[in-house]
Amino acid sequence: MLNINRTGKLTFGGGVHPPDYKRLSEDCQIKPIAVPKQLSVMLSQHIGAICKPLVNKKDHIAAGQVIAAAEAFVSAPIHSPVNGTVKDITLCSHPVLGRAEAIVIDSDPDNQPKQYNSTKFDSSFNPDKFTAEKIFDSVRNAGIVGMGGAGFPTNVKLKANPNSQIHTVIINGCECEPFITCDYRMMLEWTNQILAGAMLAAKALNCKDIYIGIEDNKPRAIEAFKKVIEQMPAAKDIKIVAVKTKYPQGGERQLIKSVIDIDVPAGGIPPMVGVLVTNVATAAAIAEAVVLDVPLTYRAVTVSGSGIKNPGNFYVPIGISAGELIELAGGLTDDAVKIILGGPMMGFAVADLSIPVTKTSGAITVLTAKEIGSVRIKAKETPCIRCGRCIEVCPMNINPTKIAHAAKHNLLDVAEEYNMSVCIECGCCSYICPADIEVAGYIKTGKILTARQKKLMPK
Amino acid sequence: MLHNIKVSHSPHIRKHHSTQSVMLDVIIGLLPAVAASLIFFRAKAAIVLTSCIVSCVVFEALCNLARKKPNSLGDLSAVITGIILAFSLPPTMPAWACVIGSGFAIIIGKMVFGGLGANIFNPAMAGRCFLTACFGAMMTTWTVPATIDSQMPKMGETQNWSISTSATPPSASTVSPVPAAITSATPLALSKEAIKSKAAGKGTSAETVNNIFKYMVIGEKGGCLGETSAIALIIGGIYMLLRGTISYILPAAVLGSAFLCASIGWLIDPQYYIAPWVHLVGGGLLIGAFFIATDPVTAPLTKKGMWIFGAGVGALTMLIRMVGEYPEGVMFAVLLMNAVTPLIDRFTKLTPTGGKVNA
Repeated sequence: MLNINRTGKLTFGGGVHPPDYKRLSEDCQIKPIAVPKQLSVMLSQHIGAICKPLVNKKDHIAAGQVIAAAEAFVSAPIHSPVNGTVKDITLCSHPVLGRAEAIVIDSDPDNQPKQYNSTKFDSSFNPDKFTAEKIFDSVRNAGIVGMGGAGFPTNVKLKANPNSQIHTVIINGCECEPFITCDYRMMLEWTNQILAGAMLAAKALNCKDIYIGIEDNKPRAIEAFKKVIEQMPAAKDIKIVAVKTKYPQGGERQLIKSVIDIDVPAGGIPPMVGVLVTNVATAAAIAEAVVLDVPLTYRAVTVSGSGIKNPGNFYVPIGISAGELIELAGGLTDDAVKIILGGPMMGFAVADLSIPVTKTSGAITVLTAKEIGSVRIKAKETPCIRCGRCIEVCPMNINPTKIAHAAKHNLLDVAEEYNMSVCIECGCCSYICPADIEVAGYIKTGKILTARQKKLMPK
Repeated sequence: MLHNIKVSHSPHIRKHHSTQSVMLDVIIGLLPAVAASLIFFRAKAAIVLTSCIVSCVVFEALCNLARKKPNSLGDLSAVITGIILAFSLPPTMPAWACVIGSGFAIIIGKMVFGGLGANIFNPAMAGRCFLTACFGAMMTTWTVPATIDSQMPKMGETQNWSISTSATPPSASTVSPVPAAITSATPLALSKEAIKSKAAGKGTSAETVNNIFKYMVIGEKGGCLGETSAIALIIGGIYMLLRGTISYILPAAVLGSAFLCASIGWLIDPQYYIAPWVHLVGGGLLIGAFFIATDPVTAPLTKKGMWIFGAGVGALTMLIRMVGEYPEGVMFAVLLMNAVTPLIDRFTKLTPTGGKVNA
């Protein structure tokens, strides 16, 4: 049905080629860290309903204990990463929501950091030992959400739906954002586990075709997978696909287009075309949850950028503050200008180092004037010269300049006429704009204003 | 520690280019043609170029002052307007007329709309249009390039050379040993004559123009400053294509549709209609294709729109050249297509990847 032997480069339309800066941290092993004294575990770690706290102030909690429950279907429970005492349940800085509730935990002094041990996933691993129900329940109980950034609860994706049978699972190993290398390190270090997770996800949905899409600038990761697949009988049908290195290759629509040449309908989601896309970190978490019954409380995070003294990849508990992570990486350099939660293309700039790491934060990037461009720091936009570069690079083939212009003047119906809602907020348009217009910024603002108008969002 | 930390929307890195660098690339692309015009027309070219560029820049500065807007000269667009306006003028154009044209181009053509990015018509073409309307005679007086020996015009048939634009016998140029300026009909004027002679049943043939194709490519022919040397314009155009400053679509659409339209006439009656490749290198078609139609502000945004716009410019140019009264039509073609650009944009809306929403 699906023809993977397409000729030519496996790619999508549009996109940009920012310098990748991966060299800063691509050879740094994912390091375990000493358990921080205090963690702030956000109650909103993901897309969907906010969790209800199950613990009270001064309660003693154990590592792995559920501390906040998911009541809605589109939600995921939250577990404590450490043994400790609940210090408070209070408002805390959140990169997107501004301020949101978090459970503050004082960790016990005798905590041992969680070690990563992927030897449990050897070549004899067989997904058929687990039933689809067991996989779904484990993933739901482990509180797994998409770890690539959007944070959609994974159990929702793994629930078999009779109306749309999933025929293809694509594991997203693109990591197209500049600077970030944690997925890359995972692919090198936890290769078996990622394959196990991919097979379990496919098993839960009773689907046969598994692809792992990796950008062709990561030949070592591609090699690593191929080597493991040779020795792993259960994984012999998994196909490793080298896709073209281009931002935003790691966007799920773009990846589906590149790997199996299907367009997800505008306004639709991948299951509508029978595809499940999940990140390599999520796949690893699925394997851990199903096989070892370990909840998602730790994740790999890249701390990089030329504003960081010793860039690296760290295996950290959810809830550690950005400031502590930066200290682990040697601290900020004097010329640091921007601290970003996530990568430089889609991450959120923050000015508060107390912001905690969530299940979805894969990186902290600190930029200096060198990378931003000293002119850019002044952030002065000049008139649009209608050059059309934003249209050329838009992976969704919409008209960013028209939408931005309409949104800027609060003409939301005009913006919607130009399909504003289709925007995936990848930021290619702002990246390429010679007039330095915050094209994506205006579009995002327009989307928020529209949501408010339709009363989907509070003021 | 955090006192100098900035926050903003993502993305936080940008491609290192700016409106200024894009415009600079266009200026670099124009340089070969500037050099060619200086070689062929010497001081006359220098006067026209300087007066156009300087007055465009000054007018833009004055407009900004009057509107109490920040200085916008840094984007270099006024310089480009100046160069392109100069390129579209005959070398004999007096400096004061250049200043008037520049004033119209910048003030009426660009600044009253709100400056760069807001104008509907290509400012340089608007300026030229104004000059054509005001000083028709000046705008159609063509000098022979300085590189051509004034005693011995080598280009084309001798009977096409004359002291004035009227069909004075060629011997007239040898009457006075040092004429003030030798003028000649441009190849396109000859082409027009050939077409008209068909109706009159006389014998002027298109062959005359076809024979000077070689000179048209190099630029040793009468014409506007920047229009003369096809090769210099092509070099500049290729530079901009390689730098990604312009998309191949507009030049391809303009030249392609012009070639097609010219071919129709040529295939019907090659005796009176000049060959399509001669049309391509003649007059302002090349500068129009590479530098005027590609003005992003006044061209459509989408690829489909660009094809329509370019094809329109090419077809209208050829329509004017072959059927209309004027020998050359790039200016009118561009201005007419500029006027319909908003319409083209409206009719070439993009369909998002994955189909229409809610469709």
